[in-house]
Amino acid sequence: MLDLNTKKIKKNAYRVTKVRGETASRVRVPGGLLTAELLPLIQNIAETFGNGRIHLTTRQGFEIPGIKYTDMDAVNALLQPIIDKLEINQEIPGKGYTSAGTRNISACIGSNTCPFATYNTTNFAQKMEKEIFPNDLHFKVAFTGCANDCIKTRMHDFGIIGMTEPQYEKERCMGCQACVKACKKKSVDALSVENYRIVRNTEKCVGCGECVINCPTRAWTRSPVTYYRLVIMGRTGKRNPRLAEDFLVWATEDAIIKIIKNTYGFVNNYIDREAPGGKEHIGYIIDRTGFEEYKKWAMEGVELDPRTIVKGPVYWSGIHYDGK
Amino acid sequence: MGYQTTAEKINAIFSDLSKDYLIYAPKRFVGDGTFTYIDTIRYGEITDLAEIEFAEKSNYSFKEVLLPISETLFYFTENEMKEADAPKKGAIVFLRSCDLHGLKRMDTIYLENGGVDTYYKRLRDHTKFILMGCENSFENCFCVSMGTQTSEDYDAYLKVDGDNVLVDSRWDYLDAALAGATQAPVIADSVTANDTVVTIPETVPQTLFDDPFWEEYGNRCIACGRCNFVCPTCTCFTMQDIFYTDNGKAGERRRVWASCHVDGYTDMAGGHAFRNDKGQRMRFKVLHKVNDYKRRFGTHMCIGCGRCDDVCPEYISFANCINRLNTLVNDTVKEEN
Amino acid sequence: MTELNPYIPFLSKITEVIKHTEIEFTFRMTYSGDVKPGQFFEVSLPKFGEAPISVSGIGDGTVDLTIRKVGKVTDEIFENYVGDTLFLRGPYGNGFDIANYKGKEILLVAGGTGLSPVKGIVDYFSAHPEDCKGFTLLVGFKSPKDMLFKKDFEIWKKNINVIMTVDYPDEHYDGNCGLVTQYIPELMIKGLTDAVGIVVGPPIMMKCTINDLLAKGFKEENLWISQERKMCCGIGKCGHCKIDDTYICLDGPVFNYTKGKFLKD
Ligand SMILES: Cc1cc2nc3c(=O)[nH]c(=O)nc-3n(C[C@H](O)[C@H](O)[C@H](O)COP(=O)(O)OP(=O)(O)OC[C@H]3O[C@@H](n4cnc5c(N)ncnc54)[C@H](O)[C@@H]3O)c2cc1C
Ligand code: HEM
Ligand code: HEM
Ligand code: SF4
Ligand code: SF4
Ligand code: SF4
Ligand code: SF4
Ligand code: SF4
Ligand code: FES
Repeated sequence: MLDLNTKKIKKNAYRVTKVRGETASRVRVPGGLLTAELLPLIQNIAETFGNGRIHLTTRQGFEIPGIKYTDMDAVNALLQPIIDKLEINQEIPGKGYTSAGTRNISACIGSNTCPFATYNTTNFAQKMEKEIFPNDLHFKVAFTGCANDCIKTRMHDFGIIGMTEPQYEKERCMGCQACVKACKKKSVDALSVENYRIVRNTEKCVGCGECVINCPTRAWTRSPVTYYRLVIMGRTGKRNPRLAEDFLVWATEDAIIKIIKNTYGFVNNYIDREAPGGKEHIGYIIDRTGFEEYKKWAMEGVELDPRTIVKGPVYWSGIHYDGK
Repeated sequence: MGYQTTAEKINAIFSDLSKDYLIYAPKRFVGDGTFTYIDTIRYGEITDLAEIEFAEKSNYSFKEVLLPISETLFYFTENEMKEADAPKKGAIVFLRSCDLHGLKRMDTIYLENGGVDTYYKRLRDHTKFILMGCENSFENCFCVSMGTQTSEDYDAYLKVDGDNVLVDSRWDYLDAALAGATQAPVIADSVTANDTVVTIPETVPQTLFDDPFWEEYGNRCIACGRCNFVCPTCTCFTMQDIFYTDNGKAGERRRVWASCHVDGYTDMAGGHAFRNDKGQRMRFKVLHKVNDYKRRFGTHMCIGCGRCDDVCPEYISFANCINRLNTLVNDTVKEEN
Repeated sequence: MTELNPYIPFLSKITEVIKHTEIEFTFRMTYSGDVKPGQFFEVSLPKFGEAPISVSGIGDGTVDLTIRKVGKVTDEIFENYVGDTLFLRGPYGNGFDIANYKGKEILLVAGGTGLSPVKGIVDYFSAHPEDCKGFTLLVGFKSPKDMLFKKDFEIWKKNINVIMTVDYPDEHYDGNCGLVTQYIPELMIKGLTDAVGIVVGPPIMMKCTINDLLAKGFKEENLWISQERKMCCGIGKCGHCKIDDTYICLDGPVFNYTKGKFLKD
């Protein structure tokens, strides 16, 4: 005789699955990086309470299926050391993940390993986690190290793409043009040669750092500050899947955090409470209010670096299956 | 004369010296590396002992002090040439034993081969060299194989030993400045063995120049030139003429580092290049380091610092290449006998 | 500064320009120091760069530089020589030592602009035919249009044996045709043991000619060649011209074949 409040279950990061009587626990790993010592704990949950299988989710979590609804408390107890270790913002200690609206913040492997990454994606993801979790609103945020966008930030509500502002010390340049060739072949062809020195077209440059990577003499180095391209309102789904568009280019960490936090205020204000399950996706809200209204909310109190370019009005395309 | 003194004392001496000298030492350039959050250790000006990176090998050698990456030779207007001013101050350079041997290689090219190079000499004559000891061999070093693990050709040896600074001075100025300090025998730290050991084939027959041995390197090397740019004994350059965009009649001629691995090194008018194949470029470099130079000047060019192995993005090991080449030469000689 | 800065060029006046073809002119330059045929100057044009150019003739207080218009520096020389001066540094390189050839029978084989560095030798023996046992100049050009030193040929023909050939004749041409190597077998050389062969031209032409001369019986130590390589400094510093342990700018560009045959890039 199961009597369950499915809303509460979902908030607790358990899923109402197609198998009657069975749920699935979702373990979020912010930034996608965990220490190997947590794997036996996850294994233990799956073997003790689940069906022995673990699904790797698209957003860098573990989904442990086959758990009896009646075992949820026991599973929550076993989740606690994982939650502690991952430093998840938790409302009620011992009660598992306390919210599941805002999705796990995912990140590519970033500067820990990847030669192209311009910053530590995991660190920024974890920092963002601290700022916005737990939250019931449906937000998807992802961090990627460079313009290759391996995490596919362009399919997220907020995508943060790392950029470096290449610094040129002309006295260290011997004119081999390795940077020019790399930028042309692997990036956007933003470099040219004038009087044996390199000229960077700052409008074209995407801050990928290929020039820095390829310079044999350290004539090109990275800026001490990392900059970011903030792309917004990409989505998949039934009605109008689309890629995120540029909002800010050469933005700083602080500006990005502030804008995302501001967006929660915007959504709280404009969300259609009558939507199925009370849930409406930010992208669709902006479609309703118009971009300028969103921008007003988003940019409230945001301090911009002089380099930052704010795009607008922003238009999205994508396929309209909904006929709109 | 050996002394035991303090960092404060040395810094005070530096401060006096800075009237006449710029002091260059390996420094940590935070975040300046090829990849994000990777530091570079390379030469820069210092005013304080604490700025010197003693614990690690520098990625780039001291050569950029005496042979800048880009150096203006003279300025010109329509019909006049004016030699670029010499640096106003002399230089003091901190470097290791192998590098001091590298200095001799540079001297050979820039002071002897084909005459004296004005620009090199005018700075070289006003440069003092301070030896940094090596308590342990670094990764990829093979100074012992090259016989460069010790050097006597220094103006001073300096070691920071906890709160003390040990100095062995061969420079009158320093002796005078340290007159009050405790005298103590100071012997430069040096290594007696490296993990990397190379055996050099003394002659490589020309028949091996086209051996398939080099093809593998041709497939691996990306002709980036890093191995040459970090090497303290590579001395090649190319000239560049530039005109000032605001005054088209005036300009300057300068020289910039060149690398025999990088495209264009042997290009002639019409685009003909004498070594297009990257394997042949590898052969050319390797034999310059451990064959050609010795035939002309009596010592091997390579001083075994291992920087080329440290830096190659394609993990091409020069040291291993020498050893493999040695085996190839021995096998070939055996076959012929 | 006590030593002269070897990188700073000096001004030299253009006293005469002799136009051989559309793209090959001889510039007669004032210069009064010691110089040998086969040596070269770095012709130095501020804003454009430098080009090593062989001495193609030595006069009284002048040197000739025969320049082919092929790129950045040489284009500029052709376009702006009206400025009537050029900057030079040099002379560099070892050059040909006439003494090595005196009293011998000499065969000089040249291809195209390869004639420039050896023209001084031809001039000398044309003026002093008695200084050698015999002198044959065998020279090839691509086509009649590419012929250099036409006036000099008129003088040479009177004093030495000249065989000139072109690869591609045109309708007005009635001389020899074909590659220089075609003419080697029929040459009558008397004392092959000490006859001298001097070969200068494009790499392939030099290779084939040398082979033919060796086949004919010339001794390796009596053959001489001149090499061209990329050069930046001309004074043993920049490294570009190095082959093995040899710096072409210092030890060459002229080599006895016993050494030259071992030069492998
Ligand atoms: C010893 C020697 C003697 C020469 N004698 C003559 C001569 O008598 N007449 C003549 O017309 N040419 C001669 N050359 C070739 C001449 O130097 C080149 O054609 C010239 O340098 C081309 O310069 P550019 O700037 O016009 O051409 P670009 O193609 O624009 O040259 C670009 C660069 O390549 C280098 N370079 C190109 N070709 C050569 C080359 N063949 N040799 C060395 N460096 C080169 C130059 O450093 C130049 O800076 C000689 C070359 C050498 C090495
Ligand atoms: C009741 C509403 C919804 C619930 C309970 C829900 C639940 C989830 C959950 C739990 C995930 C994360 C899986 C993981 O961790 O990897 C997810 C992912 C996803 N959701 Fe939803 N979702 C809802 C509505 C929507 C809507 C309305 C859309 C689109 C319009 C959407 C699009 C997606 C997409 C594309 C993903 C894939 C993950 C990614 O972003 O890469 N979801 N959903
Ligand atoms: C040297 C170049 C590259 C290497 C070595 C490389 C390697 C990889 C690897 C190993 C993965 C799999 C990661 C996983 O298991 O999830 C991956 C995924 C991915 N890569 Fe790359 N990659 C390179 C270049 C690029 C470039 C240039 C792009 C984009 C333009 C790109 C976009 C992606 C994307 C979007 C994914 C995720 C695919 C998915 O969701 O499964 N990669 N890459
Ligand atoms: S950062 Fe990337 S896009 Fe910008 S100049 Fe460098 S290589 Fe080109
Ligand atoms: S790669 Fe570096 S040295 Fe080469 S041209 Fe570019 S900036 Fe200059
Ligand atoms: S560093 Fe390595 S890849 Fe680069 S030129 Fe040298 S051998 Fe080739
Ligand atoms: S060749 Fe390599 S090991 Fe030898 S001196 Fe140069 S950088 Fe050092
Ligand atoms: S190895 Fe190459 S770059 Fe280095 S000195 Fe020799 S020729 Fe020059
Ligand atoms: S031309 Fe510079 S070394 Fe020969």
